[in-house]
Amino acid sequence: MVELEADDPGQLPALCEKLLANPLIEDFEIESVDGA
Amino acid sequence: MRWGVLQFPGSCDERDALHACSLIGEARLVWHEQRDLDGFDAIVIPGGFSYGDYLRAGAIARFSPAMEAVAELAADGRPVLGICNGFQVLCEANLLPGALLRNESLRFICRQVELVAADDERLSIPVKHGEGRYYAPEEMLDAIEANGQVAYRYAPGQNPNGSARDIAGLTNEAGNVLGLMPHPEHAVDAMTGSTDGLAVFERMVAVAA
Repeated sequence: MVELEADDPGQLPALCEKLLANPLIEDFEIESVDGA
Repeated sequence: MRWGVLQFPGSCDERDALHACSLIGEARLVWHEQRDLDGFDAIVIPGGFSYGDYLRAGAIARFSPAMEAVAELAADGRPVLGICNGFQVLCEANLLPGALLRNESLRFICRQVELVAADDERLSIPVKHGEGRYYAPEEMLDAIEANGQVAYRYAPGQNPNGSARDIAGLTNEAGNVLGLMPHPEHAVDAMTGSTDGLAVFERMVAVAA
């Protein structure tokens, strides 16, 4: 699990696809953990 | 032949790679922050644990300034050799197809293995990795084989990690980028049991010619 603070949560899918995850071998879910 | 050997925080095989390259040309280390690789004819991305393998092996290293230059150099047709972690970096950077997964045994493996090159030459070279299981979807594997991109396979019965179709190393479509999990830089001196690794470096010299 990777925890991030993000100013714009709308950018998270692109962040996952381009940096955090390797779509060839990984899937991911994004979960907001506070009131953001 | 002027070789540049990249060094990331966490690299650990750059000295042996430097030594291997120096046996067949000039070689010097390149710190990962360097963007200009114009002075080199070929680049080696060595093994180790770049950036501590954070996220995935090679996932952070691919964003380093030097890797931007490596992508340009590869597009220019110059040779790029990725060994172990270097292979993982090249896959993460999409300079090679596929990905490297945890070994099938879930254990770190360190042993001598026999490889079969595309021309049926046999090489004895050590492997040492925890994430060396080559993976690609079946249709991608078919394309890789159809294009003749499989450079090395583990000899029958010697696949140490569960790699798809026994693939130990492969090239890009152009043939100038080669990645492999075994460590040819550790097999260039008879005192260590084999000099077969030199053939891998000489292959890259042939690409540059």
